[in-house]
Amino acid sequence: MNSVGEACTELKREYDQCFNRWFAEKFLKGESTGDPCGQLFKRYQLCVQKAIKEKDIPIEGLEFMGPSKGKTENSS
Amino acid sequence: HPWETVTTAAMQKYPNPMNPSVVGVDVLARHVDPSGKLHSHRLLSTEWGIPSIVKSLIGTCRTKTYVQEHSVVDPVKKTMELKSSNISFTNLVSVDERLVYKPHPHEPDKTILTQEAIISVKGVSLSSYLEGLMANTISSNANKGREALEWVINRLNAEIEEFTASARGTMRNSMAAAAFVEK
Repeated sequence: MNSVGEACTELKREYDQCFNRWFAEKFLKGESTGDPCGQLFKRYQLCVQKAIKEKDIPIEGLEFMGPSKGKTENSS
Repeated sequence: HPWETVTTAAMQKYPNPMNPSVVGVDVLARHVDPSGKLHSHRLLSTEWGIPSIVKSLIGTCRTKTYVQEHSVVDPVKKTMELKSSNISFTNLVSVDERLVYKPHPHEPDKTILTQEAIISVKGVSLSSYLEGLMANTISSNANKGREALEWVINRLNAEIEEFTASARGTMRNSMAAAAFVEK
């Protein structure tokens, strides 16, 4: 699946792989602490935000939040 | 399929052959709230195959329409709620959709989906014909949604099978075996 910004597709894929694994193997089993995908998400986000501005997509009232605010960033 | 399987598939719903018009999915924000629920805000880009003459009139950048989706997954209560609404053409029409996935109350290996859609057309009163037409479209889309998840689940199981064949004696191996027994 592509990203809205063509240049972001690769970053998106890396993040998605990380997230899907964490979601199925940790989050759904009750381990929601820890966020192994934080760095990937940040890089992917920077790209997406830029693409959205460039394409003038009308996103309103959505804060661009980082992953798992308030949780300690432990890389696992 | 059990709720965990359906929820995992729903997070990876696109691309799938039943929704060919969805051409892009991006995560705009994601966090786990203090009660342990995962919130995700996503942007979906859709391309409706507009005839090329129309494209040349309105400019190719503007043939994509966008939908924003907010999902909440509660791993303790086992609910997944998705709310989406269009962010393109909001001056003409609003399509708000809400889907909730929960485990079946009597059959734990199955999942129940409730789906509702509210469509408002600005400044035009919907005749009963139009309403009937939309109701038909919505219910056939609901079926399409179920088929789409079925497709994703099969794809994920095939990937697990491949992985199992090549990896020996790992944690994932025993997880994959459990998933097959469940099925």
